[in-house]
Amino acid sequence: MMRYRILWGTLLFMLPLTVHANYQQEFENEFLTKPWAGVQIEQNFCISCHSSEQMKPEFRSIPEEWRASWHAQNNVSCEHCHGGDSKDAALAMSPQRGFVGSPQYKDVPEFCGKCHIAILTNFLESGHGKALKAGKKAPNCVVCHGSHNIQKASINIISVQLCTKCHSYERAKVMKQALFLTETRIGELANKLEELKHEGIYPETDEKSLFNTQAEFRALFHTVDVNLVKDRTDEFTTKLDQIDNNIQATYRSLKFRKNFSAFLMLSFVGMGIVIFLL
Amino acid sequence: MWTKIRHWLDVRIGLDNIIQTQVIDYRIPKNTNIFYTLGFLAVVAYGIQVVTGILLLIYYVPHPDHAFGSVQDIMTKVPYGWLFREMHAVGSNLMIMVVMLHMVTVFLMGNYKRPRELTWFGGGLILIVTVIFGLSGYLLPWTQLSYWATTVVTSMPTAFPVIGEPISRILRGGDYVSATTLSRFFALHVAILPPIFLALMGVHLFFINRIGISATPFGKIDEEKRPLTEYKRKTYPDGYPYYPAFFKKQMYMMMAYFAVMFFIITFLPTLFFPNEANMPADPFHTPQTIKPAWYLLAPYQLLKLIPNKFFGIMLQLILIIVFLLWPFLDIQKEKNVLKRPVLRGVFLFLLVAWVVLLFWGRT
Repeated sequence: MMRYRILWGTLLFMLPLTVHANYQQEFENEFLTKPWAGVQIEQNFCISCHSSEQMKPEFRSIPEEWRASWHAQNNVSCEHCHGGDSKDAALAMSPQRGFVGSPQYKDVPEFCGKCHIAILTNFLESGHGKALKAGKKAPNCVVCHGSHNIQKASINIISVQLCTKCHSYERAKVMKQALFLTETRIGELANKLEELKHEGIYPETDEKSLFNTQAEFRALFHTVDVNLVKDRTDEFTTKLDQIDNNIQATYRSLKFRKNFSAFLMLSFVGMGIVIFLL
Repeated sequence: MWTKIRHWLDVRIGLDNIIQTQVIDYRIPKNTNIFYTLGFLAVVAYGIQVVTGILLLIYYVPHPDHAFGSVQDIMTKVPYGWLFREMHAVGSNLMIMVVMLHMVTVFLMGNYKRPRELTWFGGGLILIVTVIFGLSGYLLPWTQLSYWATTVVTSMPTAFPVIGEPISRILRGGDYVSATTLSRFFALHVAILPPIFLALMGVHLFFINRIGISATPFGKIDEEKRPLTEYKRKTYPDGYPYYPAFFKKQMYMMMAYFAVMFFIITFLPTLFFPNEANMPADPFHTPQTIKPAWYLLAPYQLLKLIPNKFFGIMLQLILIIVFLLWPFLDIQKEKNVLKRPVLRGVFLFLLVAWVVLLFWGRT
């Protein structure tokens, strides 16, 4: 009798709930496709407008290009570069909110330099920067890095295809050679730090240190002064050595952990065998 | 010295009597097997969690700005902090495995049958509390994995009409997983669940002690078939003494448990730590795949497969109710699962379904 009472009780409990089966249709539709109730990213009017049919076709691809960019991966959004208020349709393109659409060709370095301050300083001191400001034929940031689909910078940007658009590749080649060893080492260290994360270590301090060293080194490169890069390479090498030493120390620590836990494992296996034989 | 201490205790609490009645005279049925030690192993596993948990508690900071950093400090700066953290994390998964295995073996041996319905019910509640332990502890390191897995899990109650949203809000302390959620889960993990668990374990052990150990139906069956009209403690005068025979088995299993734990820590240190478990939580960056812990993968996958999420949740609730109340629903007197083809078939089906859903959920 008891089990029938329990069964009926359960059914009676369930019945009224089934009446409301369609209670939250919206939730059900989106249950597994949305980052449910995480911190919701507020509506971005720049993206919604640029993605709409009303937008000119040549501007419609911008949101997709941005989504695939290094900026998007690092939460750098439209308003960080262009100003305006992306959360308010009326103020999205308001000059009062600092909106700048497409900057003039020669003003692009300042446009990007709002964030990339050190690079701007070095660039303006370079032959490229001086020529640009003098109104001569010279590259600005987007010529090498692109605009919306900006990818993580790499030494491979210095290439025959790109540099020979304006001048011969010889000087650029010398610069690339001067950068090569340090850049390669930075890449290797970045990979090692990534490997450490797979091992359960989050090397935040070394990662920040590497990021700063890399940023400083790349800012220096924008002077396009090979001798300066060569002169200061030792300084960067020392910093990279320090990071490398820390990584090696972490690996030694991981090795010790492995040995120690293996020792504990064998100890317990041994004790298990002894107990079994007793 | 030892004799004096023993005597000092004996005249006060009757130590010799306890040893005589609970250890030497306590008899275990002859046909017990190694699976009878799983309950003891679950207690050991819980003990390990308590000790390592307290050590972690000394350095852990339950605040979103510091939680991840404090766990990293435990892993890298605190002497042997990595060991305690790994033991705690691996131990939590092993503990859930042990409790699950304990329930499965009790089920297969029919040891839930009367007069042990309450023992099963209490054990089922312990399993649920263990899983909640795992869930609440999952968020504490404040990693991408823990943040988004908790977001998934705390969203599940919203499938319930009317009460779902409030439940979800109470769990999170707001609309989304935040500092309040971390505080709540921390309190749940270290202050609310431990006394509940201990109380349930106490009641569970009390029932085992009062009712007596159940013999396995495999081999020589000696379980009585008398009508249940009066209380009678099940004893085995012709059984093995608890010490040393059964005690040795328990110690052996305990060593095996530690060996497995350190095997995982040595050779598979990232088994329970995918890459997202090593990244600080970023509420603005949803990972490519959001998955709960392995013990919730099967229900999670089931939820994904059933088009109506309400029915998905309700089905799981029904399964939990049936699981808890199974001794009251199963009125067959036969304990031996080998002589019950239907029950055996249902069990195998559920086991295969669980494994398939688990691996399906991983992909």
